[in-house]
Amino acid sequence: MVNALASQQVIMVSNLTKYYGNFKALDSVSFAVDKGWVYGYLGPNGAGKTTTIRTMLGLLKPDQGEVQIAGVNPEKDPVQALQIVGYAPELPALQPFFTGEQLLDFMGKMFGLSTQDRKERIKRLLDLVGLKEWGDKKIGKYSKGMVQRLSVAIAIINDPMLLIMDEPTIGMDPEATAHFRNLFTNLSKEGKTVFISSHLLDEVQRICTHVGMINKGRIVFDGPITQVLDAFTQQWVIEAELKEVTKIMISALKELDYVQDVKAEGNKLRIELKEKKDLRGEISSEIFKHKGVLLSLNLHQITLEDAYLRALKGGQ
Amino acid sequence: MGFLQRSANIVTYEWRRALAKKWLYALVILALALQVGLFVLFYYFFTNPPPGFTITGPSLEEVKAMMWLVGVLGPQSLFIPLIAIMIAGGSMSEEYEHGTADILLSKPITKIEYMTGKFLGGLSLLGFVIALTTTLGATLAYGFFGPQESIQFVPIIYLVLLYSNMLFFSMTFMFSEVLRRTTLSILAAIGILVGSVFIGSILSTMYVISGGEQLYLEISKWLPNWSVSNLPSFVASELITAPENPFVSVPGGDIQLAAAIIAVYTVASILIAALKFVRSDVTKRTG
Repeated sequence: MVNALASQQVIMVSNLTKYYGNFKALDSVSFAVDKGWVYGYLGPNGAGKTTTIRTMLGLLKPDQGEVQIAGVNPEKDPVQALQIVGYAPELPALQPFFTGEQLLDFMGKMFGLSTQDRKERIKRLLDLVGLKEWGDKKIGKYSKGMVQRLSVAIAIINDPMLLIMDEPTIGMDPEATAHFRNLFTNLSKEGKTVFISSHLLDEVQRICTHVGMINKGRIVFDGPITQVLDAFTQQWVIEAELKEVTKIMISALKELDYVQDVKAEGNKLRIELKEKKDLRGEISSEIFKHKGVLLSLNLHQITLEDAYLRALKGGQ
Repeated sequence: MGFLQRSANIVTYEWRRALAKKWLYALVILALALQVGLFVLFYYFFTNPPPGFTITGPSLEEVKAMMWLVGVLGPQSLFIPLIAIMIAGGSMSEEYEHGTADILLSKPITKIEYMTGKFLGGLSLLGFVIALTTTLGATLAYGFFGPQESIQFVPIIYLVLLYSNMLFFSMTFMFSEVLRRTTLSILAAIGILVGSVFIGSILSTMYVISGGEQLYLEISKWLPNWSVSNLPSFVASELITAPENPFVSVPGGDIQLAAAIIAVYTVASILIAALKFVRSDVTKRTG
């Protein structure tokens, strides 16, 4: 705990390599997550997201490399390292013989919470995750979405400094998804660190401050979300729709200093720019100069999805 | 919060997990019902003996006064080892099969604390079941046949029964971790239980046929079932020295050897389970 409070670095993953038999699931994965970040961990199915998380929690033994949670290796000292961690697994399996309240109480005991603390938190958390009416019902009777919600409540029973969520909103309805996104954002505002593994790019773009991308066991990007779009933007493109496209107009546009190339398809032009600048004003002026009638003009900016797809292809 | 408290949390968890199983209740009720049935049968037999039936040695009254031994040791023959196997069979493996191991082991607890809690949780539950059958056995003896002799030894016999059953409990616990499949673990343990009874019978026959070749007897002693089924009787023979004791006539029973064999199997099983658990990954849902 002392280390956790003293250090800004909450997660340190260094050169992590993990084999399943001959299959290399993680290949020298390294990244760091600082206090207060909402870190989105992106990757396609089988990329190594869950393996990374389970290794971070000491559930898997790395073949190489090391993990530190607030300066403590969870494999060597799980009691200290995991005291400050809340974890919600992907598609959680919870003990069906407990009621929601009983399971939260048991988990609270595992963190050494007092009876009074547990009582107060259980009531508040069941309300927070929308299971107030279901607290005294056996988990075996819960729907998948309800189990998912209870799993989030379990993850925050200890008021964790670090919250690790593996695909947290899978199985939730849109309303619950929005509710939990707000919850994660609010936790981050309270100074907590949130690590979210997801393949939902929209979700990551909305709530994360930093992004790590993994593909085939290797990190292909790691940095602030503000940099990710820029990092994967090879060029900016303006798309114009005109009443009529002429050859003279295309030649004139191609001759402009800041234009890389112009491609025509019917009455549409795709103008690739040399610079990452919004040059729609300059382009429209040039079109008007050649008597062009402009129907629409859009700057095509790269989305996180584009960046993600480019990252997976290895293009940066 | 220290080692003991973290392990104790898992002990209570293990009780809840095991008590959620309907088959456990069924098995315990069946064991208790058979105990009652046995006493009803004996009672009928003693009050309506077949014509010409006589007991050699002790008188019928002396036999009746020792009937608590039948009640206490009777379930040991099959039901208690079976209940031990059933309790331990899913102890570790069910958490992998259901995917709940992740939730438990991502909390601040060491693997050794977790395993200790699991082991002691199951063992204490087994201890409770044995206490039930022991108490019922002694009570039935008193109820059907009146005041019992040497009944002050019941607590010692209870502890010996618990100790004896640690063998199959630990062995199944080990299978549960090593195989990580509940059904396989239970089948493996039952296979060893039945197999050792079967091989033991063959070795006994060989002993008789060979005219007393000691080697067969010595080998049979190292089969798991020999010590488990004989140690309580050996101890009872040692405690109850009255010559009229008709139920534990195992003179010359080697208590030290039986106890040592149980200890060897138990310690080896626990060590194998611990090494496997500590050294390997926590596998995801396997069920």
